[in-house]
Amino acid sequence: MRNRPETILTYFLVLILGFLGFLTLSSTSLASPEDSSSERLLAITGVHIVPVTGNEIKSGTILIKGNRIEAVGEKVSLPEGTTIINGQGLTAYPGLIDSYSSLGLVEISGVAATVDNRETGRINPQVKAIEALRYDSMHIPIARANGIVAAVVAPTGGLISGQATLVKLNGWTNREMVIKESLALVVELPGIRGGRRSFMGMGGQAAVSTEKALAELKELFHRARMYEKRKDYASQNLLISPPDLDETSLFLLPVVKGELPVIFSVHADKDILQTIKFVQEEKIKAIFYGVEQGYKVAGEIKKAGIPCIIGSLYDLPPLWEEGYDSLFLNPVILNQAGVKIAFSSSSSSAAKDLPYHAAKAAAFGLDRKEALKAVTIYPAEIFGVDKDMGSLEKGKLANIVLAAGDILELGTTIEKVFIEGQETDLSNRYTELLEKFKKREKK
Amino acid sequence: MNVRKINLIKINFLILTLLVFLGSAVPLLQAGGNLLIKNAHLLTVTKGELKGDVLIQNGLIKQIGENLTAPAGTRVIEANGRYLIPGIIDTHTHIALSGTNEGTEAITPEVNMADVINPDDTSIFTALTGGVTMVHTMHGSANPIGGVNVVLKLKWGKPSEELIVKEAYPTLKFALGENVKQSNRILLPGRPQRYPATRMGANAIIRRELLRAKEYLAEWERYEKLSRAKNPPANLLPPRKDLRLEVLADLLRGKLLARCHAYVATEMIEFLNLAKEFNFKIGAFEHAWEAYKITDELLAAGVGISVFIDSWAYKMEAAEGIAYNAAYCTKRGLLVSINSDSGERIRRLFNEAGKAVKYGLTPDEALKLITINAAKQLGVDKYVGSIEVGKQADLALFTEHPMSAYTRCDMTIIEGEVYFDRDEIIKEREAAAAKKGGN
Amino acid sequence: MRAVSKKLKFKLGRLALALALTAIFVASLTPRAQAEVKPAYALLNCRIVAAPGQTIEKGKIIVRDGLIEAVGPAEKIPVPPDAEVIEASGLTAYPGLISAHTNLFLDVKEQDQPQNPEDYFSSFLQPSEPQEYPDLLVLKGLKPKLTTVQAYHRAGITTVVVAPNRGIFQGQSVVLNLNGENLNPMVIKQPWALHLNFTTERGVYPSSLMGTVAFIRQKFYDTQHYAQHWKKYLASPAGLKRPEYDPFLEALVPFVVDKKPVVFQCNNQEDIKRALKIIKEFQLNGILTGANEAWRVIEVIKQARLPLLVSLDFRAPATSLFAQQGEAARKKAESELYPANAAALQKENISFALTSFGLTDSSFLKNVQLAIKSGLSPETALRALTVEPARILGLEKQLGTIEKGKIANLILTRGPLFEDKTKVVKVLVDGILFNYEEKGQ
Repeated sequence: MRNRPETILTYFLVLILGFLGFLTLSSTSLASPEDSSSERLLAITGVHIVPVTGNEIKSGTILIKGNRIEAVGEKVSLPEGTTIINGQGLTAYPGLIDSYSSLGLVEISGVAATVDNRETGRINPQVKAIEALRYDSMHIPIARANGIVAAVVAPTGGLISGQATLVKLNGWTNREMVIKESLALVVELPGIRGGRRSFMGMGGQAAVSTEKALAELKELFHRARMYEKRKDYASQNLLISPPDLDETSLFLLPVVKGELPVIFSVHADKDILQTIKFVQEEKIKAIFYGVEQGYKVAGEIKKAGIPCIIGSLYDLPPLWEEGYDSLFLNPVILNQAGVKIAFSSSSSSAAKDLPYHAAKAAAFGLDRKEALKAVTIYPAEIFGVDKDMGSLEKGKLANIVLAAGDILELGTTIEKVFIEGQETDLSNRYTELLEKFKKREKK
Repeated sequence: MNVRKINLIKINFLILTLLVFLGSAVPLLQAGGNLLIKNAHLLTVTKGELKGDVLIQNGLIKQIGENLTAPAGTRVIEANGRYLIPGIIDTHTHIALSGTNEGTEAITPEVNMADVINPDDTSIFTALTGGVTMVHTMHGSANPIGGVNVVLKLKWGKPSEELIVKEAYPTLKFALGENVKQSNRILLPGRPQRYPATRMGANAIIRRELLRAKEYLAEWERYEKLSRAKNPPANLLPPRKDLRLEVLADLLRGKLLARCHAYVATEMIEFLNLAKEFNFKIGAFEHAWEAYKITDELLAAGVGISVFIDSWAYKMEAAEGIAYNAAYCTKRGLLVSINSDSGERIRRLFNEAGKAVKYGLTPDEALKLITINAAKQLGVDKYVGSIEVGKQADLALFTEHPMSAYTRCDMTIIEGEVYFDRDEIIKEREAAAAKKGGN
Repeated sequence: MRAVSKKLKFKLGRLALALALTAIFVASLTPRAQAEVKPAYALLNCRIVAAPGQTIEKGKIIVRDGLIEAVGPAEKIPVPPDAEVIEASGLTAYPGLISAHTNLFLDVKEQDQPQNPEDYFSSFLQPSEPQEYPDLLVLKGLKPKLTTVQAYHRAGITTVVVAPNRGIFQGQSVVLNLNGENLNPMVIKQPWALHLNFTTERGVYPSSLMGTVAFIRQKFYDTQHYAQHWKKYLASPAGLKRPEYDPFLEALVPFVVDKKPVVFQCNNQEDIKRALKIIKEFQLNGILTGANEAWRVIEVIKQARLPLLVSLDFRAPATSLFAQQGEAARKKAESELYPANAAALQKENISFALTSFGLTDSSFLKNVQLAIKSGLSPETALRALTVEPARILGLEKQLGTIEKGKIANLILTRGPLFEDKTKVVKVLVDGILFNYEEKGQ
């Protein structure tokens, strides 16, 4: 047998093709978001469907094609090759969206080395949360395992804390998680008790008042506009020297141009009114966060059309005299006044509790359907991603949670979480440690 | 009969009538309140569920059943199908106290929380709005040996001495781990770090103090012997009474239970060994995040735990805490209670217990974590912790099942007196608003 | 002999004159009020409230050598020929008021909270021993100021207890008559009582209130043991180990063993209970001061039957309910509930003294008026500032009323005492006259 080059080459090619074919056929890891087969078909059948927008379906089918929802209905015809998942006894919800968290920035709050959400200094528009976000945070799988598919991750501290990001809770790197890299600028205004900020619990310098803070912002915005004007002028006229680099102005430009919204962390009723005025004068896009006394000025907030992210309800009312339940009644009153609200976990280690804040408000009068909307479609609308998320509708991304009951209920177990058509791994720190030590049990 | 005798009889009759009249006008000496709660969905915790009424007299549960009636004048509460549960018991808090830690020294068992009760603490009312009726309020975790704790009923508005639950086990607070090592504190210039700086130092200092307590006991025994002798020595003086060692001596005598704040497995294992070494009893481990790792050892020692459900990842020692801890340990047979250790979390303690359902318990088992289990740990399960005839009428009324996220506490009752009534608060608000509007 | 004696007499005479002039010169150097010769005074035709409920419409008071020589209706009292006459018609004489708890003349201010980060750190470089002063005699550190004396006179106060103000075991107080600027002549009783306060140390044990309670009890037990040991040792030292001298415990022995008075400062209702518990445990001769929340534990106070020095400071303590429910609630409590404290005690027939503790001279008067508006009768108010404090201080034989033989401490007012427009125009302390009459009166 002569070793003809053609024969060897043929054998080699066959081997390589066979190997590649083998690779193609073997399934990719569940956690990989880059699906090789974008035309994969998946159907969840016999499942109770809560689309959030539109009527509930007692028993129906959701057809997923690739990473989007192809069809939702009582009767859906399934193309050939559709993988079927039996959804009997389960309820399908859109994946939940956390409107404010520190997921991926804070691991163990008491250990400074693991806390990455607060930069030093007061004015930090250039700081971007996405650039510090850790995919491998132990809190992300825990939140995902409770049905949360996307979260706003926000920096904190100072007056201008930095740029918050909107991420999906799936991806091998922080960049793979990005939905909107730069979602909004975070501005933090004083709390309700304003007043003296204490050093180690004693009297210190007074905190800046909201009035002063807004005046400072006004000045910074003005500077940014002038900066741009100068840059433009210089670019058209060689004789005009361009301005020196002004980092603050550079990063405030998208805000003053109305492109990048600002999330104002604002709390007292007077401060809310002042901030509304500021937003209207400066012609910027705004979202409010916290708004604990928002209920007192609900009408004004509604008129201004500013949506409100509710802060954690795991807190005490800021002022005793406003009633023990004022914190819980706040979102109820805002919602009933027509303000668009969204709930947040305002946490990383308790991010999985997002649905329970919504339920707590429902316990105090919020319509349960509205409560669910406030963790699904309303945040999607507020953050401009409602074309892709927030409800179970044809064309939207297949972010679907299969729950063994009401997703806002404490006792409900989550059976499956799909993010963009991919079934995600629900194992997390809790389950891993439990399994490990279950092995210790003597039979 | 002569006139005088008749007059005497008349006068006596008058006096008698007067006394009877006065007697009926004076109310019966009440130990507690009287209530009739109608049409409630009762979760008794120990005797199943039923729909019916509860009759309360003198602060005790007199009758449970259907279509009950009460003596005239008894306040009737229409539950309208709402859920009635035993008042929630929080086995680890620091509310209603003026001060939490005597952190300047490592060993301070002489301090007593009963000396610093603050009945004005608004946290008491906050807790009532969450259906909590009783708390085990404690020294903080700054010291290996902290102080003597106290169990209180949250009788908002009553004088401090009326809050104390005398029937509860007396307990002494121990703590191990990061707080005791002060590992998260800034070292101040010019001041030496307080001992201990390590977990082994903590155990060493506890051991040393218990050895001193043994010595103290022996000293007193010697004195007693000598003073009772036929010819006691002329220069016999009693030993110096040391309040610190007195308390430790009581621990050794079994008069106090140790309640030990411990997170990681090694801390608990070693504290169990200390307890064996000195023959003292442990009431429970507080927080015990790694209890799931050592259920065998805890079962063998018969020591339960009082834990959070999932408020973790705030310190390194809580980094291997899992939300399955409470449920798993319960399933393994440990006596588990959920606590709040917070003046904010206390008002949603029922939600925290509700989470245990996701992690493996039934709603009934979850409810036990904040009622009868807690009562057992505090030694008051004869009196509270379930809805049973003869027990004290500590109850809470919820709009939905207490383990549901949608539930709300509407009323909290202690010994038959209503201490929190949402309806009344709403009425007061409406009246105040009307007054304002009218002006 | 005659010639010599004449010369001598002349020389002696000149010497005597020189000496007399020197004496007068020297005497004139000392402030007028400290004149060694206390004149006799006759106050004529004034209204006299000699004791609460005992009024003489038109009376005379004769003062001599610092004491009351006579008091009674004008027609019954002869005026001694050497008495300086003071026409006092239109004025009312009251016994000088006694404030049984003040921090007058104390040199050192109560320890403030450090305001700056630097101070905070340096406060930790202090010695690691608690700053306790059971053996402190407050008298030793006093710096009287005439202006302060005069201000207090204008508030009607002629006698004060000066108490120490730092630490838990604060030290021992002194009773002073505000008769000038020289300290020693002011002293009536030295020391009076041991003062304790329910406060804490900072940075050293005890730094918590519960620690303070344990600390106080341990010290008292140690004192008992110490006294017992020393007693035995002094009676028969042979074969007995000598007890170690301890200045702290030594200072406490008179109060724990000999039952000299111990004053507990109670800053809220729970402090009252804490104090009573300790007093009972050690069978102390206890007195409560402050007691601004007595109205909340009236039954307990009634049962205890202890002397009370009630403060007129109506601020709600920070731990109190009324300070935790918003500004409006706090203000309401401070203007309605706390001022009614004394009235509540009066209603239950509990005897008490009022003090100016925590207040300035002007806010003291204002607050007495507010207490009266809130239900305290003016007669009880007078009693609480005269007879009752005199009794509590053990000075009822010398002070508290205008009576023959008692110390001449009087105030003369234009108008009834405690009324808004009333002014104190003359004050006598130890028979020394102070004039506060303003021109045009």
